Amino acid sequence: MRPVSQIEVKTKWQRRRERVGNIWMLFKQSKVGVLGIVILACFFVLAFSSMIPPMIDEMYIPLYGTDPDIIGFSQPSVRHPMGTDFMGRDLFSQLLEGAKWGLIVGITAAAASVIVGTVVGLVSGYFGGTIDTLLQRTADIVLTLPSIPLILVIGSALGRLSIWNIVILIGMLGWPGTSKVIRSQVLSLRERPFIESARISGASDGRIIFRHIAPNVLPLSFLYMTFGVTGAILTEAALSFLGLGDPSTVSWGMMLQWCFTSGYTFRAPFWLIPPGICITFLALSFYLIGIGTEQIVNPRLRER
Amino acid sequence: MSMGKFLVRRFLEIIVTLFIITTLIFVLFRLMPSDPAAMVISPRMTPELKEVLRHRFGLDKPLWEQYLIYINNIFHGDFGQSFYWQGENVFEILRPRILPTILLFTLGYIMAYAVGINIGRIIAWKRGGKLEYGFTVGGLFFYTMPIFWLGLLAIWIFSWKLDLFPVGGMKSPELWTMANAGLGAKILDVAYHLFLPLSVFTVWIFTGSMLLMKNSMLETLREDYITTARAKGLPEGAIRDHHAARNAMLPVVTALALNMAFSFNGGVLTETTFSWPGLGSVLVDAALNYDYPLAQGAFVILAAVVLTAVLVADILYAYLDPRIKY
Repeated sequence: MRPVSQIEVKTKWQRRRERVGNIWMLFKQSKVGVLGIVILACFFVLAFSSMIPPMIDEMYIPLYGTDPDIIGFSQPSVRHPMGTDFMGRDLFSQLLEGAKWGLIVGITAAAASVIVGTVVGLVSGYFGGTIDTLLQRTADIVLTLPSIPLILVIGSALGRLSIWNIVILIGMLGWPGTSKVIRSQVLSLRERPFIESARISGASDGRIIFRHIAPNVLPLSFLYMTFGVTGAILTEAALSFLGLGDPSTVSWGMMLQWCFTSGYTFRAPFWLIPPGICITFLALSFYLIGIGTEQIVNPRLRER
Repeated sequence: MSMGKFLVRRFLEIIVTLFIITTLIFVLFRLMPSDPAAMVISPRMTPELKEVLRHRFGLDKPLWEQYLIYINNIFHGDFGQSFYWQGENVFEILRPRILPTILLFTLGYIMAYAVGINIGRIIAWKRGGKLEYGFTVGGLFFYTMPIFWLGLLAIWIFSWKLDLFPVGGMKSPELWTMANAGLGAKILDVAYHLFLPLSVFTVWIFTGSMLLMKNSMLETLREDYITTARAKGLPEGAIRDHHAARNAMLPVVTALALNMAFSFNGGVLTETTFSWPGLGSVLVDAALNYDYPLAQGAFVILAAVVLTAVLVADILYAYLDPRIKY
């Protein structure tokens, strides 16, 4: 046995860094997970560079900057690498702006639904009984409702939906899946000895749920969030394309809607194809990261 | 529990769920800040005319009475009158649209699961190779593609450039108005219109079942009875299909019921892209015209279709797994 003085004493931060390093080591083993990270990094670069074109010239402002020399639609040129839309707005700066909104909408909507889902799952699993039955029946009903039709009905009564309305609606409809998974984890966690000892030492229900159980289910929540981002991006794109989007934000779905309604669908490949490819790859990147994360969260998937 | 009892119980559950959904919609709209009559009552009308209209739409009655009338009407198939198509009965607009939705959705779902289960079975058997990686990433690529965009690309290539398929719709009007058109020709015509939307829907949806089948197969392949089958010297194909795949299919069929609602999202978008005359496309039009009674009616019927589909999937599951007893 080594003398105590020789045992390395690690600071909190060293331990944390080591833990992150371990997670990264595991994540690296998943080829698809790494691919997802690489694609996502590219989109972050695109989103940040959306600030550049408006600084070069006012005509590159995505929503209302128009080229003084071009009145309507134009094919790609040196000044407009992807051409301009029916109002003479630069399509390339719209595409960059779309990356920004794709990330914002996807991440916030998924975060909202995962937070709701995790809290519902924790409460439902920990307390059981009537609360559990009520929450889970609600989850069952929300699960059987197709989300896009429901948002369409709400839109038909509300009139115009802002981008934040859409984020909230996606968040409010996306939680049941997460809540069911978290609940089943909590059901097994709450029988463990460490919860028992926390209870005996006088911890309140709130403290047990959020200090002792929650940290153990957070990796799972994160996993569901990555899948949730994929869903949120696709839902927002679909709503915008259908004409229920927020016309004051330039998202990729909005670009496709403008392309479709102005009648250029089959005449302007530089307008139709890039936004669709971007939606696909951004949604794909989060899904691939999810698969990579799944192998960390669920060790059974690892060795094969 | 017998099968009959199970069916009765599930049927009652569906009715209760529909009841809750319609109640929620009612509460939701009454909580909203906007006046439900604002769509048809313009602020320029005289107060007397406003009163007449309010009376005609039953908006002068107390809220609980409105609710009772609403529920009673819905369970009689009366969803009121469309705002946009002035005076037309909502159910009459929706009735011819139920069957096309069921046709497109059922065929698409069956095809997607058939394709997904078969590919999943094969890539799990040859796991760890390029085949698995390729199909996983390739399948996910279609899965994360906006389905309406995939539809537009399909229309562009196959209808616009190659002129192989119609741009949209379900029937050719010339053929259906012809007096002597035979049934066979009519079926062929619908199939011809169905081909593109059905393919797009299938391609978009099969990945889910493929990945699930793959994961489930990988679990099953570790079971002892697979080793036993190997030890008996059975041919590889027989082990894969008769021993592993059969058991691996069960969780996939469970997921079939769970993913139903999500898949209808894609169905609605497919219908809109291909102007397929189903419930989804009418719902989208209604929402764009702020025609709330029509949108609500379409949604309730769509929800009923989803719930019925889930019930069918449950029955199928019981049929496939003899261990399930009711």
